[in-house]
Amino acid sequence: MYPLFEWHGVGNGMLMAIIATYHILPCHLATGAFWITYFMERKAYQENDMDMLDFLKKYSLLVLIFCFVTGSLTGAGIWYAATVISPRAISGLIHNYVWGWATEWVFFLIEIVTIYTYYYTFEKISPKAHMRIGLIYAMSAWFSMVIITGILGFMLTPGKWVQTGGFFDGFFNPSYWPQLFVRTAFMFVVGGAYAAIVASFMKNPDVKEKAMKVAAKWGLGGLVVGGVFTIWYFAKIPAVSRTIIFNDLGFTQTMFKIAIVAGVLLFIYFVIWGLKRARTASPITAIIAMLILFVGICAGETMREMARRPYLIPHYMLSNQMIDHDMKAKGVTSEVAKFDKTGVLPAYYFAPDSVKKINESNFMAAGRILTKLECISCHTLETSGFLSIPRLMVGFGAKTPSEVHDFLDALGDYDYMPPFVGTETEKRAMAAYIASLVDPNQKIDPAWVVAGK
Amino acid sequence: MELAHVLNGLRDPMGVPFYPWFFQVLMVLTFALHIIFVNLAIGGTFMAFYEHYKKGEYNKKLSGFLARSSTVNLSAAVVLGVAPLLFVQVIYDPFWYVSTVLSAWWAVGFLIFVTVAFLALYAFYLKRKGEAMKGFGFFGVASFVLLLLAAFVMNLISVQFLEPEKWKAWYLTGTMMNTSGTTIYDFRISRYLHYIVASFAITGVFMMLYGWFFSKREDMDKDYLHWVASSGAKLALWSTVVAMIVGVWWLLSVPSKLNFVSNPFLIIGVLLGVVFLIVLILAQKEPEKYAMWSALFAFVAVLGMSTAREVLRMVYLGKFNYSIYTYKLNLNLGSTALFLLTFIMGIIVMAYPLAVAWKLGRYGKTNEEGA
Repeated sequence: MYPLFEWHGVGNGMLMAIIATYHILPCHLATGAFWITYFMERKAYQENDMDMLDFLKKYSLLVLIFCFVTGSLTGAGIWYAATVISPRAISGLIHNYVWGWATEWVFFLIEIVTIYTYYYTFEKISPKAHMRIGLIYAMSAWFSMVIITGILGFMLTPGKWVQTGGFFDGFFNPSYWPQLFVRTAFMFVVGGAYAAIVASFMKNPDVKEKAMKVAAKWGLGGLVVGGVFTIWYFAKIPAVSRTIIFNDLGFTQTMFKIAIVAGVLLFIYFVIWGLKRARTASPITAIIAMLILFVGICAGETMREMARRPYLIPHYMLSNQMIDHDMKAKGVTSEVAKFDKTGVLPAYYFAPDSVKKINESNFMAAGRILTKLECISCHTLETSGFLSIPRLMVGFGAKTPSEVHDFLDALGDYDYMPPFVGTETEKRAMAAYIASLVDPNQKIDPAWVVAGK
Repeated sequence: MELAHVLNGLRDPMGVPFYPWFFQVLMVLTFALHIIFVNLAIGGTFMAFYEHYKKGEYNKKLSGFLARSSTVNLSAAVVLGVAPLLFVQVIYDPFWYVSTVLSAWWAVGFLIFVTVAFLALYAFYLKRKGEAMKGFGFFGVASFVLLLLAAFVMNLISVQFLEPEKWKAWYLTGTMMNTSGTTIYDFRISRYLHYIVASFAITGVFMMLYGWFFSKREDMDKDYLHWVASSGAKLALWSTVVAMIVGVWWLLSVPSKLNFVSNPFLIIGVLLGVVFLIVLILAQKEPEKYAMWSALFAFVAVLGMSTAREVLRMVYLGKFNYSIYTYKLNLNLGSTALFLLTFIMGIIVMAYPLAVAWKLGRYGKTNEEGA
C-alpha cells in the first residue's frame, strides 16, 4: 500500500470527476468530428464549394487545438489523477493492459502525424491525398476507441479474466461489443452535432441547408442506433450493477433521466433545425445542442463509473485498493482475508511504527490512519466536501463509537460499499475516530476500543 | 521491515506480461524521443519570443516559424511522453507511485502547466503578427515559464523517486501523515539545468535543419535561410558547451560511493556528447551541409545519455537490492504480439502523411497522387 493523497474538504472523487468530465468533451469530438469532416470535404470538392473548404479548414484548427491538445492532456490527466488517488488500481490495470495502452498509443502517434499534416496541407496537395489523410485520422481515432473500450468494459465486466487472467479474456468481455457499438453510434451523433455547428456558420443558404441535412441524418441515425445498443448494453452488465444504477442510488437514477432527456432534446433539435428548418439554424442553437449532448454523455459515463462499485478492478481490487479475491492464474492471494486476521496497520509500511499495535493511548491515531486508508479514495473526513463521512454518519444515525462500529459491521450489505477490512480492534479504533469526527466532544472509552468491552 | 522487502512488496502482485528488459529498452528509447521534442518545445518557445522582441525582418520571420513549429513539437512531446510514462509504471511502479503521490498536486499541476502553456503558445502563434500585436509576446513568455515549471515537476518526481530510504520520514511527522500532496521533498537544480540548457542545443540543430530543409525552394529567401542555419549552428555549439559544464556540476552531485564516474555507460554517454560537439564545430562554416549529421549525432548523444541515465537509476536502486529483472513474470504473448504488430503497421501508415509533408515542404509541391 502506498502513501495517501487527500484533497481536504473537497474530496479525491471530485478531482477525478472534474478531469474525467472535461475529457469527455474533447475525446469524443476528436473521434467523431473527422468522419463528418471527411464526408463534407468530399462533397465540397465534388461541388467545388470553396466556402465549405474555408470552414472546414477553420474548424480543423479548432479540432486540433481543442480536441487534440486538451484531449490528450486531460487523457493523461485522468491517468495522473488515478495515480494520486488509487495508485494500486492504476498499477493493476497497467500490469494487465500495458500492451493495450501501448497499442492505443500507436494510434495516437498516427493521429498526431495525420492531423497536423491534414491541417497544414489544406489546398496545398491534391484533394484525393488530403481526404485520404483525413480518413486515416478518423480511422485511427476510432481504433483508439476500439482499444480503450476493451479496458473500460473490463473495469465493469471482466468476464473470464477473473479465472484466467488472460488479456483477451478481459478485453473481449461481456459488455465489450455492446459498448463499442454504443460508442461508435454516439461518435456519429457527436460528429453530426459538430457538423451542425460548422454548417450553422455558413453564409450561403443552399450550402447551409445541404450541410445541415447531412449533419442531421448522421445525428439522428446515431441516436436511434445508439439507443438500441444501449438497451443491449444494459442487458449485458451484471444484475448487481443494474440494481446499483436503478434502485440503490438516487444519484444514478437522476443521471439516467438526464441522459434520456438529452437524447430526446437532441432528436428534436436534429429534426427541426436539421431536416425541417435548416436555413434558419443558428450557431447558438447548434452550440447549445452540442452542450446538451455532452451533458447526456457525462451522465452516461457517470452511471457506468458508479456501476463499478465497490470495485476498482472487478472481483479483484476494492475501491479502497485492497485485493479481496485470490487470482490464482497470476499467483495472487486475497489480502482482505489476511488483513482481517493479522491487521491492516502492521502491513502498512507508511504507518508510524508506534500505531501498529493498538493501545489505549494510540487508538485515535490508529483509527485516523485506518479511516484514511480505507475511505478517502471516495469520501472526505471534513463536514464539507464530496460524500463527507461525518455528514453521512449523522444521516445514518451513527454517532457513538458503538453505533459507528455496528454500521461498519453492516457495510458489506450495501451493494456499492466494500466491507471494513482489518481486525476487530482496528474496526473499533476506526469507529472511535469516525465518532470523534461526528461529535468531537463525546467521551470515548479507550478500554472498549482495546478490549471490546 | 527491511527496505528491499518493502520495495518488492509494493510491486504489483500480478507481475509483468513480458520480460522486464524489453520494457526497459522501450522506455529508454521512447524517453530519448520524448525528451528531444521537449527540448524543441522549450528551446523553440524561448527563441520564438526572443526573436519576436528583436527588430529585423528575419527575426520576425524566424519567430513565426518557431512559434508554429513549437506547437507541433509540444504536441509530439506530449504524445511521445505517454510511452515512457507507461513503461516506467510497469517496471518501476513502487518508485514512480510513491514519488508522485507524495507531491500529488504538483503532478496534477504538471498537466495544468502544460495545457495552459499550450494554449498560450497558440495565442502567441496566431495573434503575434503586426506591430499592434506586439503585446502577444507576453503569451510566448508565459508559455515558456509554464513549460519550465512543468519540467521542474518532472525533475522533483524523478529525484524523489531515487530516495526510498527517505520516503517514510518525509511522509510522517509523529503519527501524522502528510497527505496534502503540496510538499516538494527534493529536487536537483544541476540536473534540471542540464536538461534546460540542452534544449537550446537541440533547438539550434533544429534551426540548422530548417535552413537545410527549405534550401531547394525557389520561393524562399536564401539569405534568410542561411542566416537561420548559421544562428542555429552558433546556438547549438555554445549551448552544448554550457550543457557540458552544467553536466560536470551535476555529476559532482552524484554520491561518489556509487562510483558512477567510472561507469562505462556514463563514459560512452559523455564521449557521444563530445562527438556531437566536434560535429557542431565543423558545422559552423557550412551549417546546411552538416545539418543532417548534426541531427543524427544529437540523437545518438541523447540516446547515449538516456541510457546512462537509466544505468545510473539501476545503480542508485541497486543500493536497496532492487532489480527490475527479478520482477514476477506472467508472460502474455498474445498482447505483446498485438502491440508489436500494431506498431509495425503504425510505422507503415505514418510513412504516407510524413512523405506527403516532406515533399510538400522540401519542394513546395507534390505530384498528382500527393506523394
